[in-house]
Amino acid sequence: MLRRKRIVYLGLIALLAVLVSALPPVSAASQTKRQRSIVIDPGHGGLDVGAKGKFGSLEKDITLAISFKLKSLIEQNMAFRVILTRDKDIDLSNENRAALANNNDAVLFISIHTNGSFRKNAQGAETYFMSLTATDEESRKLAYFENNSSELETRIAGEAKDDVQIILWDMAQAAYIKQSSRLAELIQEELSSNPLIGTENRGVKQARFKVLTGVACPAVLVEAAFISNPREEQKLISNEFQTHVAQAVYSGLAKYIKLTFQR
Amino acid sequence: MEKRKNVLAAALFVLLAVLVVVFFRTSGREQIRRSKDVSSSSASVQNTAEKQMKTVSLFFLREEDGLLVPEEREIAADASLVREAKEVISELIKGSRGDLVSPLPPETKLGQLFITKDGTAYVDVSKDIVDYHPSGTAAEISTVYTIVNSLTYNFKPIKKVFILIEGEERETLGGHISLDRPFLPDYSLVAKR
Repeated sequence: MLRRKRIVYLGLIALLAVLVSALPPVSAASQTKRQRSIVIDPGHGGLDVGAKGKFGSLEKDITLAISFKLKSLIEQNMAFRVILTRDKDIDLSNENRAALANNNDAVLFISIHTNGSFRKNAQGAETYFMSLTATDEESRKLAYFENNSSELETRIAGEAKDDVQIILWDMAQAAYIKQSSRLAELIQEELSSNPLIGTENRGVKQARFKVLTGVACPAVLVEAAFISNPREEQKLISNEFQTHVAQAVYSGLAKYIKLTFQR
Repeated sequence: MEKRKNVLAAALFVLLAVLVVVFFRTSGREQIRRSKDVSSSSASVQNTAEKQMKTVSLFFLREEDGLLVPEEREIAADASLVREAKEVISELIKGSRGDLVSPLPPETKLGQLFITKDGTAYVDVSKDIVDYHPSGTAAEISTVYTIVNSLTYNFKPIKKVFILIEGEERETLGGHISLDRPFLPDYSLVAKR
């Protein structure tokens, strides 16, 4: 009998130990309400070098450098967790970049790129958000989810295994078009008004970016400057310019968060 | 009587000889005749084609502002919409005759082109369009819409364009713009006259 009691006690203690060890993250999460994240996506990587400059710089290296700077700016000034889709020179599919944001309860997704053109003199900064050119049937579904984005969030929270959820995943960004557009405007405003950056303002634009389609939160893609233009390539590789771009993107997203989260 | 028989025999012999000669030569002659038919008919096609040309507008990039600007070009008028559409793409690949910039790598080769009943043109091009592409968002948008706008502007039955590479759907040209569905024309990228 005594032995049995001992075993029961030991079992209880073990159970308690497990519960206690599980507690700290729960309480931490409740302290900061929800440990939500901001996901920064340095464009390209690995074999996918992106656009190339005349002096040999590669889009993938500059996007990573700017992303590191942006990450530390957010971490210094905000309570959000900051996740980079890649923190080294590796290949990463567009789906995985979006999935990383969705799996980490992201409030914002910022993809950093440098532009490339067939034109020698193409220059300036522009910020994109997703463009939807859907068929009529799709438009109806999208309209529904635009009005019910909370439902989309809860559905996406589960693992996308069956067909229905894969379709939802594919359209995820559709539910956040308005917010994404606002975020793009605020970031572009900062990029174009900062005299230290001094590049041409190409404005906010829309296009069907592969990397943005599946992201289930406000998402934008920043084209800092043209790497295909030798003058802008020189700027892009300089530490100061990268810092100024990161600061402008940070100011834009900080304004957005202030507007939407602290009402 | 004997003379008559002789004459008859000679006539028969001549007839036979003629028949034999004709028999062995007909095949050759037919070939000649056929080849003559072909050359004369193709010549007539060429003649009519020279008369019936069609003016099309090809959209190339303007260096100063990056907008698409139409450049007029004569192509052979053809009863087949597909052949005319292929001709437009081939001319786009050749590039501008003026000082406009071509957003299609000249190495690109055109494969199949077909048009479905709902007005979607499927344009299949070689992988060179990817291998020789400079990449970059602006560059990819230019490449897509030089094709899409040129086809939809010149051919009313074409409403949208799906770009295939080596006969298959590809994610993007260089990591940016999604090619997973057909593109509608975007005339906001075209210069106002």
